[in-house]
Amino acid sequence: MSADLRVAERTADTPQPVSVVRRIWRWITRSSLTGRLTFPVVCLIVWLLAIKVVTTIWPFAVDVLPTPGQVFGFMFDEIKGDTVAPHNMYETFAISLQRLGIGMIIALVIGTIIGVAMGLSKAVNAFFNDWVVAILAMPNLAWALFCSLAFGFGDIGPTIVVVLTGVPFVIINVREGVRNTPSDLFDMARSFDVPRERVIWHVLIPSLLPFLFAAARYAFALGWKGLVVAEVFGGQDGAGWTIKFWYDAHRAYGVVGYALLFVIFALIFEKLMFDQLSKRLFKWRPSIDAADVVEARFDAAAPLPASVAAAEAGATATSAAMGSITLATSGPPHQPVDDPSPPPPAQDAPKHPRSNDHG
Amino acid sequence: MADITVSELHKEFGLGADKVIALENVSLSISGHAFVSVVGASGCGKSTLLNILSGIDSPTSGTVRITQNGRPARAGYVFQAARLLPWRTVMDNMLFVQQDRSKETRDRCQHYLEMVQLGDRGDKFPGQLSGGMQQRVGIARAFSTEPDVLFMDEPFSHLDAITARTLRKELNTIWAETGTTVVFVTHDVGEAVELSNRILVFAKGGRLADDIDVTLPFPRDVSDTEVAVTKAEVFKTFEDIGALAIS
Amino acid sequence: MATTLSTPPQVPKRASEEDVVRAAKRKDRITTWGWRLAGYAFFLGIWELASGRLMDEKLLPGPSTVFRTFGELWATGEVPGAFATTLGRIAIGFSIAFIVGVGVGILMQNRFLNGFFRDAVTIGVTTPGLIWALLTAIIFGNRPAGPIIAIVLTTFAIITVNVSEGIKSLPKDLIDMAKSFDVGVVRRNREIVLPHLAPFIFTGVRFGFSIAWKVTVLTEVFSSSKGIGFEMRTATQLFRLDEFLTWILAFYVLALFLDKVVLETLERRFFAWRGELKS
Repeated sequence: MSADLRVAERTADTPQPVSVVRRIWRWITRSSLTGRLTFPVVCLIVWLLAIKVVTTIWPFAVDVLPTPGQVFGFMFDEIKGDTVAPHNMYETFAISLQRLGIGMIIALVIGTIIGVAMGLSKAVNAFFNDWVVAILAMPNLAWALFCSLAFGFGDIGPTIVVVLTGVPFVIINVREGVRNTPSDLFDMARSFDVPRERVIWHVLIPSLLPFLFAAARYAFALGWKGLVVAEVFGGQDGAGWTIKFWYDAHRAYGVVGYALLFVIFALIFEKLMFDQLSKRLFKWRPSIDAADVVEARFDAAAPLPASVAAAEAGATATSAAMGSITLATSGPPHQPVDDPSPPPPAQDAPKHPRSNDHG
Repeated sequence: MADITVSELHKEFGLGADKVIALENVSLSISGHAFVSVVGASGCGKSTLLNILSGIDSPTSGTVRITQNGRPARAGYVFQAARLLPWRTVMDNMLFVQQDRSKETRDRCQHYLEMVQLGDRGDKFPGQLSGGMQQRVGIARAFSTEPDVLFMDEPFSHLDAITARTLRKELNTIWAETGTTVVFVTHDVGEAVELSNRILVFAKGGRLADDIDVTLPFPRDVSDTEVAVTKAEVFKTFEDIGALAIS
Repeated sequence: MATTLSTPPQVPKRASEEDVVRAAKRKDRITTWGWRLAGYAFFLGIWELASGRLMDEKLLPGPSTVFRTFGELWATGEVPGAFATTLGRIAIGFSIAFIVGVGVGILMQNRFLNGFFRDAVTIGVTTPGLIWALLTAIIFGNRPAGPIIAIVLTTFAIITVNVSEGIKSLPKDLIDMAKSFDVGVVRRNREIVLPHLAPFIFTGVRFGFSIAWKVTVLTEVFSSSKGIGFEMRTATQLFRLDEFLTWILAFYVLALFLDKVVLETLERRFFAWRGELKS
């Protein structure tokens, strides 16, 4: 009994100022944000330390290793448009972006045609499938070297590399879109005798749009990586060629700096463009906020049509990316079953695909 | 008020050892301002019957004739899931199934939306509506085409009890006001008794086991004594025909 | 003896129905294979034809030329040596990447460390391997450390992402259930945690491997004096496209073999239950 009282007294006596410090420390070490801020600082420290260490061991390496000062100075100059290279950063990026855009469009057109055909016909699928997988797995480098030798220096080679890197992903995503068309909505339209053109315009095309979007996003993300490699070997301008320019000049800070600039640029551009597009195209997507979650729970297991579920699956680039890679390497999740008898009529799935018992 | 005549309707799936008989030589006829419920345990062919009647599926043998005053009847369908186009607004969903987009049609659609208390949600997307609201749009959509016969496949089975109750009342009101024949599949006997003037009981193996007329006056409430009594009678029929056996 | 009842007519009918089904499935399989082979014939054919007619033989050697060149190269004994070097680098680099990737993935379950490593992972996933290849080439020149570091930097992130997903989705309810039955830590890990994580790790390994080999070859193009990438660069500089194609195709076939045949079979055998879940 008395022991408990003593404990109670002890805790009551804890002085305030210490606990404040402890609380701040605890907040710092538990917060994700501070972790994120610490990272660049640590990187900088490690970088400077590494340079110090390496140059003391190998003194000749001084020229080769880029210091933060050199890199950031270089980047700053480039942003100002002040460069030793033939074109400044903005012209260069514009050239590269142009090639990327054209390549993407071609990839989307070719990919959609083949993807639709493969989705609709088992024969066509069997015909093309192994080759799509083959092109998918081929490294950028191979395309880049080949195109540089075949098409010389200029626009064509890099553009074709963009097409080659993008087409297999477009094909796979479009094929998956065709395979996942919302049969429940088609049945609904048929039960109301809706004319064919209306069904195509209002049901088929909107249901394919999320997959096309994922395809485009992927074509962009992979396309610019392939483009840079292609320009290294086969360009006479553009971002990749400029990086090689600095590499040939043995200026590591140039390579690092320019690469950083282009990567950041590509990421920002990708995010802006696709997020904006996504907002417009997919404004019908239900956004989850607290009220909706609560209401959804009260609605028991209200089923979502397959179309929305599929649309959500194609939503983010990463999930689309993961999805399409999984598709490419391990095939579609359900193999079409050879069943000559007519399938039983589509029963609406009673389980809400987004519901979970944990809320 | 359509006339439905079903003659020796038979439907089976699969081959050999896996053969499943979904409907076994079913014959029936419906006419007048009917609200016919089709009840039975899971797997007894209720949905199959509905799919064949509405043309989504075709029978192995037998005939179905659905006419309105001699001409082929127009049908509407309400599904278990609302099956709305998620990328179109509520009003666009209504218009999607109409013959044209004239002003009268729009007004008619608006009228039916108001009948299900959703007159002000025409410009919302289905994703912004709750499950119950989506289902009401589905019902409004089906009725707005002013079909001669309406097929409904367990439309309230995925809703909570409170919403379902409200929707049943709304359904009853709309049915009473329009002249539509309704064929309503459900596993909930109470719901069948509350809404219909005729109950078809199906047993395992797709056999039409009983045909019960319910003559209680409308509007009915599930808490009425007569409803409860009728419900008990229907359940007794189930037991008699062994329709309560679980597969 | 024979009881000629109504049953005999039924039996042959049922048997032939099943035969029909089986025949239909077989026909379907044959058609699929037929089209598949047609595809091979078509594309290889176009390649072969394009080689002589559409494009200069020097620019686009046909499949027959490549095959022949491979035979010649193999005879000189260069092939095993280069393959061994490159594969060795991949093995070392990937092992380190795997350890780093899993380690970071586990560490990232802590909120602070999650914030810390987040950008590193993003950079890892989005930076093209080319950049690392060039950088390590400049800094390390010929030394074997170059390609290995490039592999680690390109690959660890994808493994981290997958491992992290796996850990985040650990079935807490199963673990709590095991704890409530006083199941020890070791057994819990073996029966619940590892089987749950295994598919995620496997996915990470598959993606990681496909990235790793490409980066290795790319780095070797710039920096090495041995290995497949180096051979490819030499062939290009000498404008020997047939040799270039031979090297890249040979390695590519090997990588594809390792991925599809080895890894995918392993995956199927160990994770058959997962396939059922997926569909």
